[in-house]
Amino acid sequence: MRRVFLANNTNELWDMLRQYPEAAIYAGGTDLLVRMRKGICDPSALICLERMDCLKGVREEGDQIFIGACTSHTALLADPIVQRSFPVLAAAISRLGSPHIRNMGTIGGNIVTASPAGDTLPPLYILGAAVEIMSMDKTRRLSLADFIRGPGHTDLKPGEILAGVWIKKDQPYNIFSLEKVGQRKALAISIASLAALLRVSGEGIIEEARLAWGSVGPTVTVSKEAESFLAGKRPEPGALGEAARIAMDAVSPIDDVRASKSYRRLVSGNLVLRLGASVDGNSPQPAWLPPAD
Amino acid sequence: MKDTPLEIGRAAPRFDAYAKLTGKEKYASDFYAPDMLWAGVKRAGVPHARIRWIKTDDAIRIPGVLSVLTSKDVRGTNRQGVVRKDQPVLADDKVRHCGDPLALVVAEDRETLAKALASISLDIEPLPGVFDPENAMAQGAPLVHEENPEGNLLLKGSLEAGMGEKGFEECDETVEALFRLPSQEHAYLETEAGWAIFKDDILEITASTQSPFRDRYEAAEAIGFDMHKVRIIAPYCGGAFGGKDGITVQSLLGLAALNNPGRPVKMWWAREESILASAKRHPARLYYKLGAKKDGIFHALSVRIYFDTGPYDNLGGAVTALGLEHSGGPYRIPNTSLKAWAVFTNNPIGGPFRGFGVPQVTAAMEQTVDMMAKSLGISPLDIRVKNALRRGDRNPAGTTLTGSTGIGECLRKISASRLWQESETWKKASPPFKKRGAGLASAMQGMGYGPLIPDTANAKIELTQEGLFRVFCGVVDMGQGNASTYLQIAGEILNQGLSGMELVLPDTARTLPSGSSSASRTTFTYGNALITASKTMKKRLLERASDLLMAKGPEEMTLVPGRVRHIPSGKEMPLSALAGILSDAERTSVARYRTPSAKDSPTRDPNLSLHGIPHIVFSYAAHAAFVEVDTLTGLTEVKGFLAVTDCGRVLNPQIFEQQIQGGIAQGLGYALCEELKTDRGVIRTPDLGTYIIPTSIDLPDMESAAVELHEEMGPFGLKGAGEIAMNGPFAAVANAIADACGIRIFEGPMTPERVLGALEKKPSCQEEG
Repeated sequence: MRRVFLANNTNELWDMLRQYPEAAIYAGGTDLLVRMRKGICDPSALICLERMDCLKGVREEGDQIFIGACTSHTALLADPIVQRSFPVLAAAISRLGSPHIRNMGTIGGNIVTASPAGDTLPPLYILGAAVEIMSMDKTRRLSLADFIRGPGHTDLKPGEILAGVWIKKDQPYNIFSLEKVGQRKALAISIASLAALLRVSGEGIIEEARLAWGSVGPTVTVSKEAESFLAGKRPEPGALGEAARIAMDAVSPIDDVRASKSYRRLVSGNLVLRLGASVDGNSPQPAWLPPAD
Repeated sequence: MKDTPLEIGRAAPRFDAYAKLTGKEKYASDFYAPDMLWAGVKRAGVPHARIRWIKTDDAIRIPGVLSVLTSKDVRGTNRQGVVRKDQPVLADDKVRHCGDPLALVVAEDRETLAKALASISLDIEPLPGVFDPENAMAQGAPLVHEENPEGNLLLKGSLEAGMGEKGFEECDETVEALFRLPSQEHAYLETEAGWAIFKDDILEITASTQSPFRDRYEAAEAIGFDMHKVRIIAPYCGGAFGGKDGITVQSLLGLAALNNPGRPVKMWWAREESILASAKRHPARLYYKLGAKKDGIFHALSVRIYFDTGPYDNLGGAVTALGLEHSGGPYRIPNTSLKAWAVFTNNPIGGPFRGFGVPQVTAAMEQTVDMMAKSLGISPLDIRVKNALRRGDRNPAGTTLTGSTGIGECLRKISASRLWQESETWKKASPPFKKRGAGLASAMQGMGYGPLIPDTANAKIELTQEGLFRVFCGVVDMGQGNASTYLQIAGEILNQGLSGMELVLPDTARTLPSGSSSASRTTFTYGNALITASKTMKKRLLERASDLLMAKGPEEMTLVPGRVRHIPSGKEMPLSALAGILSDAERTSVARYRTPSAKDSPTRDPNLSLHGIPHIVFSYAAHAAFVEVDTLTGLTEVKGFLAVTDCGRVLNPQIFEQQIQGGIAQGLGYALCEELKTDRGVIRTPDLGTYIIPTSIDLPDMESAAVELHEEMGPFGLKGAGEIAMNGPFAAVANAIADACGIRIFEGPMTPERVLGALEKKPSCQEEG
């Protein structure tokens, strides 16, 4: 018989963790329970965080937004701050799983699972997100890129939980694009994805670009080279084509049952070509961000 | 409302909808009882091996385990199958695919069952396997059934008409291609399930099955029990699509119950087990060569088809024969040479699946037709209209079409549709990085079992003491709505509403044998029997009532809901009162119907006739797909779909529409994303996270229209509608992709990766129009 604990607050949680240090911690269970059913893991006890209200919700603190780790994807999609300030994140979440998975799954779970295909990760990378990690006696913060170590591996140590994510509120970009390539439109694990944030001047020049690819490497792939190449250029086929070539060199995809390495590499580049359409407003997922105050 | 008499042709919600939506309807998997046991199976996990020893002693020692059975405990033939009985209940000498069952465990609960199954160890000697149907026929290939005199061949069929291959000498244009089609999983909502109890010398098995009467005989023989003491009960299936046309859990449950008398035993396969062990649509390799005159008139067709049937027959021979018979499509082609092979391999089992071999050949033929149209510079619509079969023609298999033949009318309706008329404008307005195209496909689907196996139904209707008409439905409703249609048929004839009717679902102890729910025959065959039974009942009731009410004769009488009325006087008698006067024999009416068979003999091969060639009644359809291909990702989105169907008179437009939309959805999955991937017999897509079926948002709005030609043999003019819609989508989408991008994907499904790969290879100067 496996014991399942439901923590209502941090005091209860630290007690449970002291008694059952080997317990697996989860919130919605959309990753962990599937892995357990498949027999990939078999934890001796489970600690569920879904009743910990202190880990839920979105709030502003100074120039930062804090998103509690146990906030469900559905709650994030409905949140006005997320809709207004981080539409690239909202777009990624809207393609995550299906309504029922978004109802159960949380942003913290998506981060801690650290899947190469984690849908929230590419937008969080380009938004410069930092994670807040909590243990019984201290709280620490580090960048998401440093937190995620590899497929399924994070910097989380025994006795620690992910408390939430910090994102700077005013992002200096006016265009976003989010494209996920999966085997179908819902309930799909990403084959390749590209999250992009651009600041395009009134004259149509890219002043700054942030790009992150999902599912084409052990963790999220970023390319400083592609980003700096695009800076100062118009989002036209020639420049985008060159950035696409840089991207194809930057990614390190694998073959799996969903797609081949070569398809992933090709699509990683091709998605860059569509950024021009995002700027023109013709893409299915384009949007202008509101001007930063 | 429920008193309103049911009428043929009226669109009405199916009568089972409420009970199903509210969860009141109990499927085979819904059974629970306090003393219920659980049965489960240890499966091989390797594709080909000799069994040395199955070590069960650890399992039997686990508290809560009641039985651990192997092939040694099977007292019957231990072989199941419909045409060829070659599939063991529990594998004895050999493992022939990864899903083969080796041991059956019965336990008090599911946890104990899982523990016991995990504790069984297998001592098996791996054997070289065979995984490719063409290699399997080569000299020296490993044999799946050593005792089979034809090696790995299950069935070989050949049909020849006119000059056969020589017809190509007279052709102006020839096109040829090789098509590869994937294995498709049924993916019904309700996985294989049932429960059984052995009590008072009767073995009662309730199962999610399409074929209760055949199961009774097949399971009894396989497990060695008196067939007359076996009762099979078949509730509504939560989907089946052909995958439950035959034995799944029945024999195993029988064994489990016989070994644990007095206690109900349940078996319910997990999704992964269902995918591992169940039969699938046959993967196929099809070599097509079509010849035509300059004016686009087809003149010669040569076809070679290889169906990978996996390790067992499982109706694979019949599937192959139906594919062969339909391989030339609904066209006049005077010279044909059609050949098909069903080949044993160590891949997952191939078996019946909606369309029964026809989706594969239609995918190939309809693409070949478009290739010919392009070669000759004729429009895909015109070339189809020119060659479309008409009543009185011989079809490519050589059968004279004596019944309604509406393919020409279907195509004309497509041509006149708004979607088709506006498609050129729509195509030109494609957004950046997208290409739009429109594609057509024609399809046909023969009905019934063919010439030798009697395609028979026995209907029974009873006037109960309460004055209700009880229809004893002997053929399963697996979700397609035929049971609802039976009430509609009886209601129309007896002028009753739903409140005056009752339904008894198939039960070998209560209903009469009426064959399987399959082959687009279900409503056709049982409906015809029920019409006769209902008319006989009506005649008797009117006659007896006219005598009782001192009328001049039955012509003065009529049935109204719940009553019989004497028209001249207005006097009425409740049906319950009439029922009280009648004897039991008078209150019951039974009738039998057998579907006629074709009078042509396109083949002298008795084995092909046994496997169903030829058919006489065909449904037809023309499909149009409107797609948008993303040139950056290769993703094909179907933006619109139009299906025009000739399946005779439509009895209930709502149920018809549901069948057509369901078939299109399954066909689009087959075309675009569904692919059971295997690697040397091991399934690489073992669950619904990796085996990709479309979701609702992957599917387009579908438009459906009917060409309601009257089929004189059909009940109220109907022909079968259950399978036809599955056949067209693959080729319609493939032809639309070719129209959009000038590429053709010869291997299905047409995934983004395959489409992008073809786009990358295409020299941009050779774009198709």
